[in-house]
Amino acid sequence: MKKVVFLLALVIAGLSLPQCDVIDQPFKGGTIDTTSTVQQRNVLIEDFTGHRCKNCPKASKAIKELVDAFGEDRIIGLAIHGGPSNFTGLNADYPTDFTTQAGKDIQNFFGTNFLPVGMVNREGWTPSGNTHWSNYANWPTLSAQAMDSTLHIELHAEAAVSGGQITVEVAAYPQTELLHDLKAVVLIKESHIISPQLMPDDTRDTLYDHKNVLRDFVTGTWGESFATSPILTGDTISASYSKSWNSNWVKSNCHAVFYVYNPDNYRILQVIQTEIN
Amino acid sequence: MKNTLLKSLVLLMAPALLFAQEEAQGQLHGNFQLDGQYYVRDTRIDPLGEFYPDERFLGQGFANFIYTQGNFTAGMRYENYQNVMLGFPDGYKGEGITYRYARFKQNDLDITVGNFYEQFGSGMVFRSYEERGLGYDNAMDGIRIISRPVKGVQFKGVLGRQRFYFDKGPGILRGADVDVDMNAYMSALDNKGVQWSLGASYMSKYQRANDPFLILPENVATAGVRSQWSKGPFNLLTEFAYKANDPSADNGYIYKDGHGAIATLTYSKKGFGLLMSAKRIDNMSFRSDRNATTTDLLINFLSPTTQVHTYALPALYQYATQINGEEGFQIEASKKFKRKTKLGGKYGTTLSLNYSVVQSINKDFVDPANDTLRTIQGYYHNPSALGSIPYFHDFNVKLEKKLNKSYKFKLSYLNLFYNRSVLEDGLGDEAILANPDNQKLLNAHVFVYESLYKVKPKHYLRNEFQHLSTKDDRGSMVMALAEYSIAPSWFFAVQDIYNYGNPDASLRFHYPLASVVYTVGTNRLQVNYGRQQQGIFCVGGVCRVVPPSNGVSFSLTSTF
Repeated sequence: MKKVVFLLALVIAGLSLPQCDVIDQPFKGGTIDTTSTVQQRNVLIEDFTGHRCKNCPKASKAIKELVDAFGEDRIIGLAIHGGPSNFTGLNADYPTDFTTQAGKDIQNFFGTNFLPVGMVNREGWTPSGNTHWSNYANWPTLSAQAMDSTLHIELHAEAAVSGGQITVEVAAYPQTELLHDLKAVVLIKESHIISPQLMPDDTRDTLYDHKNVLRDFVTGTWGESFATSPILTGDTISASYSKSWNSNWVKSNCHAVFYVYNPDNYRILQVIQTEIN
Repeated sequence: MKNTLLKSLVLLMAPALLFAQEEAQGQLHGNFQLDGQYYVRDTRIDPLGEFYPDERFLGQGFANFIYTQGNFTAGMRYENYQNVMLGFPDGYKGEGITYRYARFKQNDLDITVGNFYEQFGSGMVFRSYEERGLGYDNAMDGIRIISRPVKGVQFKGVLGRQRFYFDKGPGILRGADVDVDMNAYMSALDNKGVQWSLGASYMSKYQRANDPFLILPENVATAGVRSQWSKGPFNLLTEFAYKANDPSADNGYIYKDGHGAIATLTYSKKGFGLLMSAKRIDNMSFRSDRNATTTDLLINFLSPTTQVHTYALPALYQYATQINGEEGFQIEASKKFKRKTKLGGKYGTTLSLNYSVVQSINKDFVDPANDTLRTIQGYYHNPSALGSIPYFHDFNVKLEKKLNKSYKFKLSYLNLFYNRSVLEDGLGDEAILANPDNQKLLNAHVFVYESLYKVKPKHYLRNEFQHLSTKDDRGSMVMALAEYSIAPSWFFAVQDIYNYGNPDASLRFHYPLASVVYTVGTNRLQVNYGRQQQGIFCVGGVCRVVPPSNGVSFSLTSTF
């Protein structure tokens, strides 16, 4: 009997001692340096959301916390209202249509009926995998990892509306040699749209501030061919994209978002956003 | 793909084939299943067509192959989703070998490498299992050792990672379990007719942490102890588990520890059975990815203490364990009245009663303004006080009786209470306590009459009539089912659910379904045509639409 008790105690003690971290103080100290003027790798968080999705405000809040910590140049949120209609549909209580065909196409391609859910720089996509999706709780970790990674291409953009058209001039400067093609995407997003939102406590917030709402793509949804392999350091790649401007959008609340991605795996190499003049 | 399959089979079987030259030939067994559905556009249940798949036809299948020779076993499973059918998790995409293992037993050592399923105790500390109908599979990929080092003692050790669709979870699991048969050491127990065993479990996960704001525990452990005692008709099972700080998406990233306790007492003698169980869970979500949600990467299993209904209408409101906290109890009694008695009649009568109730645990939430304490503690729990949010109750009574040689029936009544805010919408206790009047509740009465009529030898007619009466949710429904089977090959069924009480008159739909099954030997083909209702399924704050559908589906199974 003693042998058994001894064995049992030995196994439990042996396994338990090194394998449990007890945390007394959960917050990391120090401040995050956001003063660098050298472009670093930024993060696009595509937040699939809906105004009738009660947990979706939590995801929006998670993006805001990251923007507050790292700055809006480095964390770029994009709220995509792609469906299903249980979460994005219209009725008397939720009268604003935030959906776009492009948003639905993106959601259908990457495939989910879960909300809220998102992608961080579309990392981890494979034709048969599911690892490109992440919960908003994981966005801080994934964003930190992305921001720590190598910047392969530096981007610049200027956007202006004139004569009912928006024109976005973009330029890219490779920082490393790239042996794959690149596609460029330019889109418009709008913030501070006040409209009802179902909240986590099951109440309806009629004055909810919808942020980062995808309005439209200036390029095609899946972008335009931007550069072909090999892409060398020292190259300068530039382009200009135009589209008619919707006068219902409040220009001062809008940003043009420009990103380039690898068409083989949809991974976003760099993203920036710019105000619209 | 064919090459990969062939190579895997050859690699797995190679050791066995070598042994085969010296020992008797081994045996290869397996099974196969293919499910598919051709979807028909149904503008009534899906007016926008948003659930109608572009592919029109979705199909998925798998095959298991198990080779056994003496003390050696090897196996593999091939799975294919082209594409995954509506209602299953979207993570299943593509095809591949998702399960492969080799196992051998040598004296007191039982070793498995590769994939395996395992469970410690009731599963509160660790359970790796598959529930194919739900698309759930958290198979381990690693090493398992089972040993009986001394008399009456069984030891299990596991090391590995869990399956995550066609990938693996990020967490590494290390665990051990010891089960001691006390009768082997205390002969007095045998003399008193007592059987007693004690067990202890331990599981630790490691997941790298890189959160810019929080110091997250990379190693999180859970431990449990259990006892099983039986004497004569009595059997008592108790288990207690403790989990260290484990901030996760489930608990809102609080650092509070977790507890779980379950006790089940059964009494069984001829003609009478009694079961009583009680359970309390507090913050016992345990996953190999702290950010996982829904049914992904669960390490443990918290068994529900409610009855699982197989009848279609009560099954619409099935209870699911609330891993962040719940308490409840269940009592079930079954009495068989002997034949040729007043209540038993000519063939005997069985009467069963079941009552189960589940509610929230007592939680005193820390003010969110107190950021540090809120993150560390989350809430305070007083174990001596009851929670105030009712989650679920189910009272049901069932009468089974055979009237004559050809006819028998079951008559059931169920009284259901179902908190839709908690169980469908995934609303947390704090939100409900802040707005208790905002809860969506459901009260329902359900009657079920099921009969089985032997038409002639090998010909049976089974009927079901179900009625669910409620003013809540989708309102009242009625269902009728007729099944005609001709043993051993043919089976025909038609059923219809009519949601006649839907508060929205435009949604008072029929959901008809017709089925034909043909069985020959160990092969079985089932073909269905009909509609499926829509639902929303929420776990841990993430919601998934279980879409409505209409179409022709089939299922082919075969074993060898």
